[in-house]
Amino acid sequence: MESEEPSISYGKKLWLLFYTFAKIAALVVGGGYAILPVVEETFSRKNKLISSEELLDMMALVQTIPGIIAANSAIYVGMKIAGIGGVLAAVFGVCLPSVTVIIIIAAFFPHLKPENPYLLGAFVGVRACITGLIIVTAVRLAKKTIQGWFEIICVTAFLILALFKLNPVYIIVLSMPLGILYTLYCTWRIKRSGVSG
Amino acid sequence: MSLFTLFWTFFKFGLVSFGGGYVLVPLLIAEFVDRRGIISTDAFGNLVSIAQVTPGPIGINSATYVGFTQGGFCGAVIASTGLVMPSILIGSLAVYYINKWKEKLLVKGILKGVRSAALAMLFYAVVIFLGMSVFTQSIPFRSLWNLITFHAPDFPAGFAFSLPAFLICGVTVVLIAKTRLSMTLLIVLSAIAGALICR
Repeated sequence: MESEEPSISYGKKLWLLFYTFAKIAALVVGGGYAILPVVEETFSRKNKLISSEELLDMMALVQTIPGIIAANSAIYVGMKIAGIGGVLAAVFGVCLPSVTVIIIIAAFFPHLKPENPYLLGAFVGVRACITGLIIVTAVRLAKKTIQGWFEIICVTAFLILALFKLNPVYIIVLSMPLGILYTLYCTWRIKRSGVSG
Repeated sequence: MSLFTLFWTFFKFGLVSFGGGYVLVPLLIAEFVDRRGIISTDAFGNLVSIAQVTPGPIGINSATYVGFTQGGFCGAVIASTGLVMPSILIGSLAVYYINKWKEKLLVKGILKGVRSAALAMLFYAVVIFLGMSVFTQSIPFRSLWNLITFHAPDFPAGFAFSLPAFLICGVTVVLIAKTRLSMTLLIVLSAIAGALICR
């Protein structure tokens, strides 16, 4: 589907999907948005398998379909890069760390109480790091995908709505007709200038 | 509880959990604690705190745990599989059709709008994450507004600024923007730094 297919074999793509999503599931805490920086680093910048625009499509899609956000992201990236085989490899990667660690805890340490101050501190550290990663990724994606006044106005307005606690799903649904209207306006303008010039 | 019932129960949960794993927790309580009574409230509270401090998405962690208590290793695998199965079906179809129709005007327009929404979500995520790391609570915008307009800021009682977390965040931004260090390495280093200075 991509025009310039990089020289990565199918088997290597499956391994990359499995390995990256296992790594993400094992290291990244804090829910859906937190995984985006590592996905961007691995699949967009290093391996050029997915574009910045497609990453934003992913962010919108994973919140509109049901299911765990990390798993939904794995499904999107897997399908884009390697079809249904890619989906299975990526989802297997997302589930493996959870299944392994939880089974070990449930089988051997059923009364574990996770209130160790070092552990809690480590979590604050990881979240602070992920905050930084998201800042850098957000700026990178903004630079690559903001093309004109339409995006600038929409992003600002949607951010304000989000800060006023409007559910992200409503914001995504609201954005669709706006995008359609803008695209129709653009095609109409091109047609008109084509006729007059 | 048979393995098929387990699979079917989690399949249904996967189908209705819009918005990710956090939505799943109340559903699990209603089904396994209240309706079937096979997991005690205590055990469930412990499960949630374990799910938050172990690697992996909270939803998959909880499914694995509940599945393990019902059917051992097989139960754990079957519950997690059931949970992600609806997403696999719906997600794969959605991506397939987006790819197929991406040159159609309607889909182009939808994607155009949705990308702006996603970018706004990402900036909003920065605000949320600041409230979970650099600040001890979500940022109270009303108090900030009071501060700007020279009124008494009256920050909520538990709200505080964490200098160590701010340093980790700032150093991460500089290192990622200026060097080629990998993100995973930085996450591991931040966990160690956090364990030492964020207690």
